[in-house]
Amino acid sequence: MSDKIKFLKPVLMVTAAATLVLTLLFVASQVLPAEGMRLLPEQDLQTGNAECLLCHGQSDQVVSFPNGDTVSIRVSPSEFGKSAHGLELMACTDCHTNIQGYPHPEVVGKSQKGYSASYVELCQDCHEEQASQLSDSIHGQVLAAGNENAPLCMDCHDPHTQQPVRNAQGNLTRSARHEIPNTCARCHSQIFDQYALSVHGVGIVEENNPDAPTCTDCHGVHQITDPKSTHFRLQSPELCADCHTNKAVMAKYGLSTDVLNTYVSDFHGTTVTLFEKVTPDQPTNTAVCFDCHGVHDISRTDDPEKGLQIKENLLLTCKKCHPDATTNFPDSWMSHYIPSKEHYPLVYYVNLFYKFFIPTVLGGMAIFVVSDFSRRMIERRKKPGQASEEDASASPAAPEAPKDVKGEGKDEDAKQEVQDE
Amino acid sequence: MSKKPNTFLRFEVMQRIEHILLILSFSTLGLTGLPQKFPTAGISLFIVSLFGGIEIVRVVHRVAATLFMLEAIYHLVDAGYRLYVRRQAASMLPGPDDVRDALKAFLYNLGIARSRPKMGRFNFVEKAEYWAVVWGLLIMAVTGFMLWNPVATSLVLPGQAIPAAKAAHGAEAILAVLAILIWHFYHVHLKKLNLSIFTGRVSLEEMEEEHAAELEKILQGEQQKAVDDAKLRKRKAIYLPIAAVFSLAMLYGVYRFVTLEQTAITTIPPKESPVEIFVPQTATPAPSPTAKAVSNEAPLQVVSQPMDISIMVLTGTWSEGIEGIVASSCSTRDDARNALDLNNSSG
Repeated sequence: MSDKIKFLKPVLMVTAAATLVLTLLFVASQVLPAEGMRLLPEQDLQTGNAECLLCHGQSDQVVSFPNGDTVSIRVSPSEFGKSAHGLELMACTDCHTNIQGYPHPEVVGKSQKGYSASYVELCQDCHEEQASQLSDSIHGQVLAAGNENAPLCMDCHDPHTQQPVRNAQGNLTRSARHEIPNTCARCHSQIFDQYALSVHGVGIVEENNPDAPTCTDCHGVHQITDPKSTHFRLQSPELCADCHTNKAVMAKYGLSTDVLNTYVSDFHGTTVTLFEKVTPDQPTNTAVCFDCHGVHDISRTDDPEKGLQIKENLLLTCKKCHPDATTNFPDSWMSHYIPSKEHYPLVYYVNLFYKFFIPTVLGGMAIFVVSDFSRRMIERRKKPGQASEEDASASPAAPEAPKDVKGEGKDEDAKQEVQDE
Repeated sequence: MSKKPNTFLRFEVMQRIEHILLILSFSTLGLTGLPQKFPTAGISLFIVSLFGGIEIVRVVHRVAATLFMLEAIYHLVDAGYRLYVRRQAASMLPGPDDVRDALKAFLYNLGIARSRPKMGRFNFVEKAEYWAVVWGLLIMAVTGFMLWNPVATSLVLPGQAIPAAKAAHGAEAILAVLAILIWHFYHVHLKKLNLSIFTGRVSLEEMEEEHAAELEKILQGEQQKAVDDAKLRKRKAIYLPIAAVFSLAMLYGVYRFVTLEQTAITTIPPKESPVEIFVPQTATPAPSPTAKAVSNEAPLQVVSQPMDISIMVLTGTWSEGIEGIVASSCSTRDDARNALDLNNSSG
């Protein structure tokens, strides 16, 4: 018996232990699923997102807010996978920090905007630079001023679908450049309608041309400033010149790169340049590029309908600031030409005249002055004693030392001249 | 002949005042004009900021230009008075003598001629400068008018006359300023300081060197001829009304010059763009067509309390939602896994 008991003892212990383990496993299997999402270890993020996407991947459910706003709770798994956040392997709960299981806590906020606003600080945690740029921007300013239409991060960048906008070299991808006007159009649809028909807009919207400017090329992205500000206005010629003085790009379209220097050397350009450099807060209506060429509706100058090469069209733009202007007036602006025999010959010949006239007159003067000066130096050196004596006596005619000798000569000359006359 | 006097009266008080006016207006014009000709130069920016901006620079430039024109009108009237009423010699008119004097002076400087030329009341140096100022004033006034009043100018002239005027105005300015620096500064500052335009008097030595012919005439008493009072009064009676009318006409001209048009000068407020800034696009319809109807009854669909099926059923959509989740749980999981596989492959 004792032998039997001896034999059974380890068997019983193993059985008891196994039972205990199994019991614990059973209990664990009953308890853990409910808390699984909360307790997920980091390496198991996939499971976490997968849990969320179980419902959110396909639900057509919408959340409604007291003000009537409705938001779909659907997150497309495939689009999230391609998004910047998805590619970074971010977990849903990285942003939705208050959701740790099901059921979810109550959604706070009276409107979609309010709900979004509660996440902005979270965006700032990772996107600090953009957030600070945004708060200084015109969008940030109108937001701070209480404008409910001001955009928050997610109004432009859907956090579930926003794909990376830059390539490995750090440049905006073509698809991003193409998409930007659509993003802006959500709030600025009238401007978009103008832009889409403009020479720049067609380049982006229809042709996806990397040379054409998209919204952010002129306005900036997060640091977007008030385009009606004096500062923006005064700096705008240089903004346009960024592309329009680029010989390589402009050559493709047969455009002149003299547009900036011809502008700056003209009355308008000189004024604007001086304003910008000396008094940058000076409000002015002095014409900058977009006053004549248009802003979002900018068209080619050889456009058969709106082109500025048609004098009537140019006159209309002149009249915006010079209401009394008449037919001849537009020609007072040299249309970005450098004067030549073909273009603005009168100006060309005036310049040519002075090119010779100034050196001739000044050169003649200089030659005489130099001859006179050296003569006087020679005379002064010849009679150093006398000269210094007369200097001491403070006579203004000091250098004319040899009076006696010269006086006689002068008299003779005088007699001769009198006889001549 | 009696003993020669030590100094001679050269400029009357009004002539000295005229010169001060010229100094003021000319230097102001140059100082405020050249920075506009070279707007990108550092010194230009410095000068412009010294004045407090280009707007002020332009106002000062126009004030100085007006002063210059008024001085020119006075000078014309005064010259007429001297020539007609006082019958003074037209000593400022250039002639062949001046060419000869200039040549002789130059040859003397080169050591070829034996002596300096004997010159009259105004020698070739002074005449060259005087007529340079007259030429400059005419060009600057005409082109300045065109720049000041471009709309009016283009009524009668082709448009490109205005940039041509601007080119001439700028080039002439460079010529004038440099001519003053080279010619004037050399002859009355550098060669020797000649202050007669301020004191009104010149010394005997200066007369001998620069106006020997005039000195002779003075010593011979030619200019001391007494003018007949009666004749003088008669000429005045003729000249002064003419001068008055002329002055008024010229002043009116200046007034028109200054006030003809303002649109090239004043800042008129820009017109507001007809395009509205904030015009949101029409919202895309929510994915669930029932969403709106539901929201009226139960504004907050996602609630904090543990969801129980009865509530879900009450809201009318959850039943469908639950069905979907349960029924397609496997396929959804696959979807999710696919998405995350993408992550893995790229990450």
